[in-house]
Amino acid sequence: MSFASARGRGRGFRLLVVVGLILFVVWSAAPILWLIVSSLMQQQALIVQPPDFSPSNFTLENFTEVILSAASLGRGILNSFIVALFSTAVALVIGAPAAYALARLAVPRANALAFLVLATQMLPGIAIAIPLFLVISRLGLIDNVLALGMVYLSFNLPIVIWILRGFFLAIPEGIEKAAAVDGAGVVGTFLHIVLPISIPPLGAAAVFAFVEAWNEFFFALILTRQDAQTVPLVIAQFAGQYQTLFGQMMAAATISIAPVIALAIIFRNQIVRGFADGMMKG
Amino acid sequence: MPSTSFERRRRRAGLLFVAPAAIVLLAILAYPIVESFILSTQSVRLVAGGVTKEWNSFGNYIRLAGDETFRRAVVNTVFFSFGEVALVVSISLAVALLLNHPLGRWGFFRIMLVIPWAIAPVANAVLWKWILNSNYGILNGLLKSLGLIEYYQVWLARPWSAFGFLLFIDVWKSVPFIALLLLAGLQRVPSSLYKAAYMDGAGRWQAFRHVTLPTMRGALAIAVVLQTIWSLRVFEIIFVLTRGGPADATVLMNFLAYRVTFNFLDIGYGAAIANIIFALTFLLAITYVWLMQPRKRRVSS
Repeated sequence: MSFASARGRGRGFRLLVVVGLILFVVWSAAPILWLIVSSLMQQQALIVQPPDFSPSNFTLENFTEVILSAASLGRGILNSFIVALFSTAVALVIGAPAAYALARLAVPRANALAFLVLATQMLPGIAIAIPLFLVISRLGLIDNVLALGMVYLSFNLPIVIWILRGFFLAIPEGIEKAAAVDGAGVVGTFLHIVLPISIPPLGAAAVFAFVEAWNEFFFALILTRQDAQTVPLVIAQFAGQYQTLFGQMMAAATISIAPVIALAIIFRNQIVRGFADGMMKG
Repeated sequence: MPSTSFERRRRRAGLLFVAPAAIVLLAILAYPIVESFILSTQSVRLVAGGVTKEWNSFGNYIRLAGDETFRRAVVNTVFFSFGEVALVVSISLAVALLLNHPLGRWGFFRIMLVIPWAIAPVANAVLWKWILNSNYGILNGLLKSLGLIEYYQVWLARPWSAFGFLLFIDVWKSVPFIALLLLAGLQRVPSSLYKAAYMDGAGRWQAFRHVTLPTMRGALAIAVVLQTIWSLRVFEIIFVLTRGGPADATVLMNFLAYRVTFNFLDIGYGAAIANIIFALTFLLAITYVWLMQPRKRRVSS
């Protein structure tokens, strides 16, 4: 009886869920859709109200203009790739062994250390920005891509360690014991047995670290001037300088977000499992 | 005994494995934190290519107590953080519940969730600058054609509307991740609990109230603490959209520390503000760790 009544109320509830889902899609997609649409429209079609959406007003001109005229954008993309790849790669290389040690290798106070690592990820940038700025300028490394990459390493490393530690904790211990019986050392076991089965979480960690580094703005603002400027800075500057060329502004923004959006879509399931889950596991 | 040498070998390898990461984190994080405290007790001046530092004891902190702008920034931050966390967590919970429903499991919805998450905060800010543009922005056009406004509004020129829009934009950007977090939590609620509740004649609301909410309490608490920490870091949207204006209405503590240090070059004073933010974050991080503890003990016992 109770089942029947629940099903009777069910139809109204399904409608509510459908309406909710539609609202959710509109909420998420509308701003991004407008970003892309206006990047494809001519200026004169954008500055009339309502905007003139006739097909003849759609063009790739904004993209070609931005790519040809703003040399800083190309340089920014190159710098962002270098910084993001560097900090992601190094974070994986030194973060994976650390995560393994904290999960499995009887490091004294491993849990406390792991939480300390997670806490560093929560540090507000401004708390370390001022001394870092002073040190890096004393070393003459302001506007240096690798100096920026090192700073990004400091927040990519905790992300990588935390995601991978959660995964390593779940590996059955028998695998390593069997390897030890077969005479494999700790390093050999890690390299030849643990790492190969850890490709999915390594991918999740890499994507997460890459996106964070690609999007970072605050340290790039403080630690770069011109040669080492990354994409977010170029976009912010562009929006300040050419703020009346709306289509071009949006084209530049679209170019800048394309790589990370592609990554996010391809690896969406790993992001959900690897990180969101990891933030709640002790 | 072979097992002890096995353990000893593993411990030695473990220290070796941890060392490089520990060194990097100590160098890039621990040193600046200590240095930041030292700086905040000094009055620092940049003069012709060099830096001069002078001991100032707690002068910077005493100055904070009487600083009208700082007080303003604290009040703004409190309003911003409370509003942001309340909105983000409640919208995220709604989104997570929707996507956890059988109708919401379609992969397309996951894509709609990760795209706003991946967008750079700066790109997001620039996009909204265009949407809110007073002459040609789509928001004015839309509202006027719907008859909701009579004249085009300069949204970012009035204190309350500028503050409100920054809040909205930040909420939009922050919802996806917290929704993912809560979705992960929802998927751990054992379905047997729901079955039992429905068997006992519970309606949907009662099942939500007595099954979902209690089992999600930990996940919700974690979401609140994490989002509070992140709300203290908001920077890009202020930098791109308002620069703290109009009349300091959108100056949050984080932005003030940046402005004092890097625009006014009052480095010691900026460090003092940064340390207040650090202390707040530190307390929140401890709360986060504490929230995760009981859950762990339950699993291990």
